[in-house]
Amino acid sequence: MSAPVLALSGLTRHFGGLVALDALDMRVERGQIVGLIGPNGSGKTTSFNVLTGIYAASAGRAEFLGRDITNLRAQAVYEAGIARTFQRSRLCLPLSIFDNIMVGNHRRLEHGLWFNLFSRRAFARQFETAFEDARELVRVFDAPLAGRMFDAVGALPMIDRRRIEICRALISRPQLLLLDEPSAGMTEEETRELMDDILEIRGRIAGLSIVIIEHEMGVIERITDRCVVLNFGRKIAEGAYREVAADRQVQEAYLGVE
Amino acid sequence: MSAAPRAPLWPGIVAAALVTAFAVAFMWAENEWEVVGVLAAALVAVLVARRTGWLAPAARAFEMREPAMNRVTIVALLVFIAFFHDDHFPLLMVGTVLVYFTVCLGLTIQFGYSGVMNFAAAAFLGTGCYTAAVLSAHTSLPHLLVLAAGGAVAALVGSILILPVLRTRGHYAAVVTIAFGLLFRTFLEVNDTLGGPQGLKLPSMKLLGMTFNDNFSVAGIEFSFYMHYVLTALALAVLAFAVTRRLERSWIGVSLDAIRLDETASACFGIHIARWKIVAFTLGNFMAGAAGALYALMLGFIAPTNFTFGDSLVMVSIILLGGIGNAWGAALAAAIVVVLPEKLQLIQEYRFLLYAAMVIVVLLYRPEGLLPRPLRNYLPGWRPR
Amino acid sequence: MDAGLLAQFVANGLMLGMMYALVAVGFTLFFGVLDVIQFSHGDVLTVGAFTGYSTYLGLELLGADNPWLQVAAVIVVACGAMALLGALIAKYLVLPLKSAPPLNILLVTLMLGTVLRESVRLFYPDGANPKRFPRLLPTDAVALGSFNLRLDSVLLFLGGLAVIIAIHVLINRTKLGLAIRAVAQDEETARTMGINFTLVVLVTFGIGSAAAAFAGVMNGLYYNEINFGMGLWLGVIGFSAAIVGGLGNIYGAILGGFLFAALQTVGAVALPFASAYKDVFAFAVVIAIMAWRPTGLIAERTSERV
Repeated sequence: MSAPVLALSGLTRHFGGLVALDALDMRVERGQIVGLIGPNGSGKTTSFNVLTGIYAASAGRAEFLGRDITNLRAQAVYEAGIARTFQRSRLCLPLSIFDNIMVGNHRRLEHGLWFNLFSRRAFARQFETAFEDARELVRVFDAPLAGRMFDAVGALPMIDRRRIEICRALISRPQLLLLDEPSAGMTEEETRELMDDILEIRGRIAGLSIVIIEHEMGVIERITDRCVVLNFGRKIAEGAYREVAADRQVQEAYLGVE
Repeated sequence: MSAAPRAPLWPGIVAAALVTAFAVAFMWAENEWEVVGVLAAALVAVLVARRTGWLAPAARAFEMREPAMNRVTIVALLVFIAFFHDDHFPLLMVGTVLVYFTVCLGLTIQFGYSGVMNFAAAAFLGTGCYTAAVLSAHTSLPHLLVLAAGGAVAALVGSILILPVLRTRGHYAAVVTIAFGLLFRTFLEVNDTLGGPQGLKLPSMKLLGMTFNDNFSVAGIEFSFYMHYVLTALALAVLAFAVTRRLERSWIGVSLDAIRLDETASACFGIHIARWKIVAFTLGNFMAGAAGALYALMLGFIAPTNFTFGDSLVMVSIILLGGIGNAWGAALAAAIVVVLPEKLQLIQEYRFLLYAAMVIVVLLYRPEGLLPRPLRNYLPGWRPR
Repeated sequence: MDAGLLAQFVANGLMLGMMYALVAVGFTLFFGVLDVIQFSHGDVLTVGAFTGYSTYLGLELLGADNPWLQVAAVIVVACGAMALLGALIAKYLVLPLKSAPPLNILLVTLMLGTVLRESVRLFYPDGANPKRFPRLLPTDAVALGSFNLRLDSVLLFLGGLAVIIAIHVLINRTKLGLAIRAVAQDEETARTMGINFTLVVLVTFGIGSAAAAFAGVMNGLYYNEINFGMGLWLGVIGFSAAIVGGLGNIYGAILGGFLFAALQTVGAVALPFASAYKDVFAFAVVIAIMAWRPTGLIAERTSERV
C-alpha cells in the first residue's frame, strides 16, 4: 500500500481537565476526500487546530507525506503543503478579494525587502502571474466574482466570502486541504454548487487530498470516499458513509440513546 | 495592455494648485482674523468641491496616477517654498512639517499597516536629535552619515522594547511605549551628560561643501539659510514616502495588513508574525531617528521639553486625524497640526487638549479619518486584461 | 542599613503598593467586564484628587473645619464624583465603540486621559502648579526605634485595605457582584439570563473609578501634594500591575500592585544614588516584566475561538 498523505496516530489534546481530542488515529490516502463528522464539540475543529499548529498536541503523532509534522509551528505546516479554512470565516474584511487570496499564496511569492521595494519590474511580472492564477481559481467558483477581484471582501455576502476563503487555501497548490464546515450558512442550492466546484478543483490539482468537516450529511454522502466519526474527542466509527450512517454507536452519538 | 481610459490627471493638478494657493495665503496671513478667514475659505472650498462632485476626480487622480501626482506634489511644494525663499519663519515651519511627516510615515508603517502600537514616536525623534547633537559636536562624521546614525540609534533603542511589542495582545506594546515616551524626557533631564534640562547646541549642518547655516544667494535672489534644511528635509521625506508606499503596494504590505487584521490566520498561511513586526517597528523608528537628526541640525538647539509624551500623542493624532494607513492623509494632517498653533497663537497653549478632543470625535464618528485609506493599488494605472 | 531606615522604606513600599493595587483593580475590572483597556483611568485618579481638594477648599470656605468631617467629605465627594465620571465614560465613549476594533477604545480613552489631564492643567485655577494637599489626618507618630510610624499612614493603609475588602465582598458576596462576574464570563449568556448588561458595565466602571479616586485622595493625604500629571505614571504602573496579575483577575491585580511597589522599593534601597532615576528604574521593571512574563503567570483570559 502506498504511503498515506496524512497519518495521525494517537493524536491527543487536553485543555486542563478536558480531553478535547482523545488518541485519534486517522489516515488519508492520496487523492481521497475524507469526511470528519460528529456532534458539536466532538473535537473535529480541535483536530484541525492541532494539525495546523495552532495548538500543541498533548500526545501522539502526525505524519504528512512521510514527514513528522507533530507540533510544528503553523507556518511550517503551511510550508509543508497543508492549507485550511476556518469554521468562523476569517478573512481580512477591509482588504480586496485579491489581497485575501494573496495571503494564502505566501509560499509562492517573493517576500524579500529588496525585491518588493526595488525590483519593481520583476514584481510586476510576479503580480500579473499571481493575478491570473487567482482570477482563474475564483472563476471556477463564481464567474462574476472573478470580475471583481479588487472589491473589498467586507462588502460581499457570506457565500462569496466562503468561496474566497477556499480560494485562499487553494492558491498555494497545497497537497492537503482542510475544510471546516464550508457550507455553513448556505442554502441547499448553494451547497450543491460549492461541492461541484470543490470536486472540479480536485480534478484540476493532481493528487489533492481533502479532509472536510461537515454537518450536512448530504454533502458527506456525495463527495467523500470515507468518513471518520468523532464523539467526545475519540473516533467511534470509520468507513464509507453508508456503513457509518448505519452504525449504532454513531446514531446514538447524534441522536442520544433511546 | 488594456485600452481602458486612464483617470485624468488634471483634476489632481488643479487640486494641488488650489491647496498650494491656500497654503501660501495661510502663511502670509498676519493677524488671527486673516488666518481664520483663510481657514474658513478653505473649508468652504472643500465643501463646495464635494457638493459639485469635483472632489472624487481629484482623489482618483491621486490613486490611479500616483507616480505623476507625486511629481506634481513635489513641484507644488517647491513653488510654495519659492514664495518664501528669504523668509525664515515659513521655511522653518515647512521643515518642521516635513520632519513630522517623516516620523508619521514611520508610525503609519507601525500602526497603520502592521498594527504595532507606538506611543513613543517623539522619544524616537528625540533619540535621533540627541544622536546628532553628540555626533556633530564630538566627531567629524559627515553629516549625511549623522542622519543615518540618528536612524540607526533610534532603531537600536527601539529594539530594547521589542519583546513586549511582539506580544499578540496590543496593550503590551501600548503600555511599554507609553512608559518609554513618559520616561524619555525625565531621563534626559536628570542626566547631565546629555545637557540636562538646558539641552544641547548643535553646529551648522554641512553637506556637499555647503555650510547650511549661512544665508546664500543665487542669481541675485536671496535665500534664507533654512532653505538648505528644507530641501534636505524634502529629500528625506520623499525617500521615506517612496519606501512607505512601495512597502504597502507589495507582498510585504499584504503580509503586514494580514498580521494587523488576523494573526492566527496569517500564521496558518506561512506569515512570520514576529519577523514582520520587528521589521515594521524597526523601520518606523529608523525613519523617526533620521528625521530627528535632521531636525536637531535645523533647529541648532534641542532640549528635553521638545520630546514629551504629549508630543508623541500629537503624532499619533496626526495619523488618526489624517486617516489611518493613508500617507497622503498624514501629510495633510501633519501640515495642519504643526502650523495651526503657530499661526493662531491662542491655541498654542491648548493644542494637546484640542487634538486629543478632535481624535475622540473622529474615532467616534469617522474612524477612518479625513482621507480614508483606499484599497491596495499594486501597480497604479494597471488594469486587468 | 539601619533597621529604622529599612522600616521606613518598607512602610513607603506598602503605601505605594496599596495605591498601585487600587488603580490596578480598576483596570482589571474594566477588562474583565468588557475586554477593554480604559487608559484614562490614571487621569480619573487625578481628577478625583482635585475634586477632593476642591471639596476641602469649599468646606474651609464654609467654615467647616473639623478634619474628620473634611476627610469624610473629601473621600465621599471624590469617590462619588468619579464613580459618576466613570459611568459617563463607559456610557458615551466605551460602549458605543464596543464593536469597533479594540485598538480604538484604547486610543479613545488614551486621548480622553489627555483631555482630562490638560483640562485640569488649563482650567483649574493655577492648575499647572502642584497644590498643597492638607494634612487632615492626625500626624502623631509612634517611635519604634529609629523608625517613626505615622498614624495617618496606618489609617490610610487600613482605608485602602477596607476599600479592597469592600470590593472583594461586593464581587463575591452580592447579587450585583454575581451579575458582574456573569457578564465578565460571557456577555451573551448573561444577557439571556436577564442581566441588564449596560447597567452592570456602568456600575463596574463606577466602582473602578471610585477606587481610583480613593487612591488619588490617599496620594494627596500621604504626600501632601497633588499635581495634574500625578495620574499618568500611576496609571501606567497600575496597568502594568494588572497585566502582571493577569487581566481580569482581581487578586492578581492586587498582587501585581504590591509586586511593583516591592520592586521599586528594592531598587531604591539597593541603588541609593538613584533617587532621581527611580522613575527610570520603575520603567525598566515594567519593560522587563512585560518582556519576560509569558501568558501563564496568571493567565490572561482570552475569549478567542479559533
